[in-house]
Amino acid sequence: MLRIVLTGDTLSLAGVLSREEAGRALTDIRGRLAASAPGRMHLDLSGLERIDSAGVAMIDQLRQELQARGLEAELTRVPAQVSEALKLFSAPAAPAPTPQVRESLFYRVGDAAVKAAHTAWIMLYLIADTLYFAVVGLFNRRGIRKGEFINQSILIGVNALPIVALISFLIGFILALQSAAQLRQFGAAIYVADLIAIAMTREMGPLITAILFAGRSGSAIAAELATMGVTEETDALRSMGLNPTRYVLVPKFYAITLTMPLLTVLSIIIGIGGAMVIGYSYLGIGPKPFYQEVMTVLFFRDILTGLIKSVVFAWIIALVGAYYGFSARGGSEDVGRVTTAAVVASIFWVILADSLLGLVFYFGQGLEY
Amino acid sequence: MEREREMREIVRVRGLHAGYDEEEILHDISMTALAGDVTVILGASGCGKTTLLKHLIRLYVPSRGSIELFGREITSMDEPEFDELLQEVGVLFQNGALLNSISVAENVAIPLEQHTTLPPELIARLVHTKLRLVEMDQALDKRPAELSGGMRKRAALARAIILDPPLLFCDEPSAGLDPTTSAGLDYLLLKLRDELGMSMVIVTHVVASIKRIADRCIFMDQGEVLFSGTLKEAESSGLEKIERFFREG
Repeated sequence: MLRIVLTGDTLSLAGVLSREEAGRALTDIRGRLAASAPGRMHLDLSGLERIDSAGVAMIDQLRQELQARGLEAELTRVPAQVSEALKLFSAPAAPAPTPQVRESLFYRVGDAAVKAAHTAWIMLYLIADTLYFAVVGLFNRRGIRKGEFINQSILIGVNALPIVALISFLIGFILALQSAAQLRQFGAAIYVADLIAIAMTREMGPLITAILFAGRSGSAIAAELATMGVTEETDALRSMGLNPTRYVLVPKFYAITLTMPLLTVLSIIIGIGGAMVIGYSYLGIGPKPFYQEVMTVLFFRDILTGLIKSVVFAWIIALVGAYYGFSARGGSEDVGRVTTAAVVASIFWVILADSLLGLVFYFGQGLEY
Repeated sequence: MEREREMREIVRVRGLHAGYDEEEILHDISMTALAGDVTVILGASGCGKTTLLKHLIRLYVPSRGSIELFGREITSMDEPEFDELLQEVGVLFQNGALLNSISVAENVAIPLEQHTTLPPELIARLVHTKLRLVEMDQALDKRPAELSGGMRKRAALARAIILDPPLLFCDEPSAGLDPTTSAGLDYLLLKLRDELGMSMVIVTHVVASIKRIADRCIFMDQGEVLFSGTLKEAESSGLEKIERFFREG
């Protein structure tokens, strides 16, 4: 317990000045000395039985505040134990934090443009490196770990199969349900099959698979590469004469290029299957007529459109994940940051690419419409 | 004499058995650390030193036995009571264990912000004081990732002593440091013992460091305490394993 007594120009502290008391004591003393005129005063510490580092900080803070008001506080009758603590813990005030300077709008726009150009440049390097090593790796397996392609194909593709199947079924089911309610009013219920077949094959199949891959595999690629960077594993590979892009990324690139179109085909089939359930249970269209209607409306070019999209999306996911993974700096917190950024950026670029490819196929009038 | 020694026992372990899953790592460990001493737990890698230390701060729960800190049994203590007790204990982890997402100053301030009612200006001053004590006051605003291994350990030490704990546990303070930095950290620990009267329990296998700082040694081998006594007694114990450890370490 700390006792504070103010007599004339002497402030006496007695008892224990510890971290439990320091905050309250500072507020108390500030109140008592609020009206004091500039001059000298004494801080009598003779009654202090014990003081810790928080107590010393309190005395330092008090003296600094008093000095700023023209009051010179002198320590008097300091007991030996208190004197030792003062010697050990007394320190000048912590430096004030540097104020954040807000740059001008032009500076910020220019800075953002330079950073964007730098990012694009790095990304171009990464794309060039990856494509080069992916092609070279087809003929020369040196610098790629044996069995890694199979391993990555299982991790990226096979393990994603259940979730891709489930989500595709539900999307096909929901799309069919929503459109059936409208189309049956016009006696056009059978066109649910046409709608779902085209939507799943050209758009939804590739897109659903890509979004799921971005969440599963894009984040995994970014997190793995970022962790490798933080723990100096990529430096270790370089020191052994191995290129991290070739050794780590290329097997993933092969795996995602192979498995994503396969899972996209699966997604399309299961999505149409989901719609078939609605056709049979809600619209009274049997599986056979539903299948026949699907086959009349689907052409090879539709499937090719979906497959081209899925390969483009696969490359976007792998490269964006790798870009963010390789860009991680600092400690473990950066791994989380780049992983999140990789997923968000992958989904954005996939949707943007989907829109652009849609326009290309539409106005190109070649493959699709 | 015995009574006086018991009064000084700040850590007391009796019949401790512990392990992971089915495997027992620590077998019937008994040891004590005395107030004001630097007690070093030493032994070869994998002998259970760090596992024992983590039991002392209840990060792991033993299967049997008793652990007392400041004369209070911690194995049966309830959570709020133990949290209260932890304010009297500082822990320096092997890699510092600073939170990477915040600055050094913010790391050091955590115990003050969470366990005291001190106003921000006093917290800032105390953080500066403790960082100055470990010669890290130039790194207030830096992130842990920007620091070297030795600097990270110093900053982590500032965090461990921010509440002036009477007892400090250190896990391998010299690990990964060059001899000069390691010696600097040892002298800093000795300064804290001498000037703050802090008791320490330090896990290490670095012989040079042990010789610099140890008042008492607890030599562990394959999950058992092989020897307990002063450094001088350890060196002249006549036990082959200990002599080889000091000779070849």
